[in-house]
Amino acid sequence: MTRFNARVAVAGVGLRQYKRAQAPLPERGVLVRAIVDACEDAGFDPAEVDGFVAYGDDKNEPVRLMSDLGTKELCWSSQVWGGGGGGIAGAFGHAAAAISSGQASAVIVFRTLVQSNSGRLSGAVMAHHLNDHLLGAGLISPAQPCALRAQRLFEHHQVPRSVTEELVRASYYHGARNPNAVSYGKELDLDAYRTARWIAEPFRLFDCSRENDGAGALLLVSAERARDLRKKPVHLVGVAQGAGKGWGDLLENDDDYASAGFASVARRLWAQTGLTPDDIDCAQLYENFSAQGIASLIDHGFCNYENVAEFVRFENLIAPGGTLPVNTAGGNFAEGFIHGIGMAVEAVRQLRGESANPVPGARTCLLAGGPGAPTVSSAIFSNEVIN
Amino acid sequence: MSEPMLAVRHTTGADGPYWRALAAGRVELPRCAGCGRWHWPAVFRCGECGSWDQQWHAVEPEGTVFSWTRTWHAFDGSEKIGLPFVSLVVELPQCGGRRLLGLLEGEAGGLRIGAAVRARVAETEIWGERIPALRWTLSGASS
Repeated sequence: MTRFNARVAVAGVGLRQYKRAQAPLPERGVLVRAIVDACEDAGFDPAEVDGFVAYGDDKNEPVRLMSDLGTKELCWSSQVWGGGGGGIAGAFGHAAAAISSGQASAVIVFRTLVQSNSGRLSGAVMAHHLNDHLLGAGLISPAQPCALRAQRLFEHHQVPRSVTEELVRASYYHGARNPNAVSYGKELDLDAYRTARWIAEPFRLFDCSRENDGAGALLLVSAERARDLRKKPVHLVGVAQGAGKGWGDLLENDDDYASAGFASVARRLWAQTGLTPDDIDCAQLYENFSAQGIASLIDHGFCNYENVAEFVRFENLIAPGGTLPVNTAGGNFAEGFIHGIGMAVEAVRQLRGESANPVPGARTCLLAGGPGAPTVSSAIFSNEVIN
Repeated sequence: MSEPMLAVRHTTGADGPYWRALAAGRVELPRCAGCGRWHWPAVFRCGECGSWDQQWHAVEPEGTVFSWTRTWHAFDGSEKIGLPFVSLVVELPQCGGRRLLGLLEGEAGGLRIGAAVRARVAETEIWGERIPALRWTLSGASS
């Protein structure tokens, strides 16, 4: 396998997660906590952070964080367009662009969500994308457009519905073994999964992600600088964001309707890194809804409509022995959901050997961003590079 | 003929003519005068041929179900629709396969992808606002 010549690395991570509506501080306070956690993790002075990137319409404008952090100079602040989690991996691309071009030297990628400040996430995501065409059809929550696409995946493309159960079980298996997960100590009851109330067909309750209060922050610096910091660097070896022609905010007129929208992003990610799905040791697979997680795996080339049921099996998806352990902290279903930022933190922890569900010898981790969003993004991290 | 004009909230986008037609009880969709492509969502300029001439044509609201979902959860704002309700994505072969949205009314027994449907213009109430919208009926079903 190729070893990478990566120019930037994650040097520190911080994650503060609470039950929905139970955050101890208002939103900015929780965010500052997570940023300081990430800096302490790296052994880095928070005042030296000079860049910030968010996604998903985060409300916390970086310039407003400066007094709390003691920021000496703000050199970069940006956000990936889009209301959903589609931009999460793209945020690392912004950070890498800032650092590689010399516009900033220490960049925090973050996402914050405290319900008393920003309201319910599902409502905020949909508010970004809603219009009267959707509303007139009763489509008011992200679950419904995703359900429409899932129905097409199952009924037209004949993907067996059982694969969603395999994926949800894997997330809960890892969550049950992660002391920081909302579902810690709680295995998924398959009967409960299969008979839970309908949300929007074909989704039942446990096909849908949670919502939590909290904030996550990841500190990125140059690969060279990362070597001198406290923790083992985790390098960003590739990242792509965007949409191919025929995909986007198209009033449900997308060409590959049942997909998760990653065709062009995945193609560019593999081309950029010279890697293939076989080179990926584990994946943090953003699952807003179960079927979209499956579509994301298909889009990234791990399987296809014909062999999806052979690949997406519980045993294949769990640490330590699965072919592709996914969502090793529990994912959005079982760890908790602060708009996916926990998955990026877990990618780093997994590659440092700090995961609650370690994948022995893992060198690469795919972060597949929010599926089905008009703008999507993915990134690959590794703990090995050319030095 | 004597159908009242429905209230329309947004007529200033590229899709303004769609809403004005819908409020008058008609369905109109845009087609590029330069290359003949049906565009939906509406565009100001055809990205395929570069033409700025987008012409609106009356369209029979008939097509086939491209996908569907039946909503059971009481999402905020949708209270007036009544649970459960079925939302459709409908493909219009007469418009180059462009797709329109809407709620299903009447019998749902034959609901499947590919089923033939036909629409009338009605209103959907969301968060207290009434929005002109299509109501689809499965062909052969009684509304």
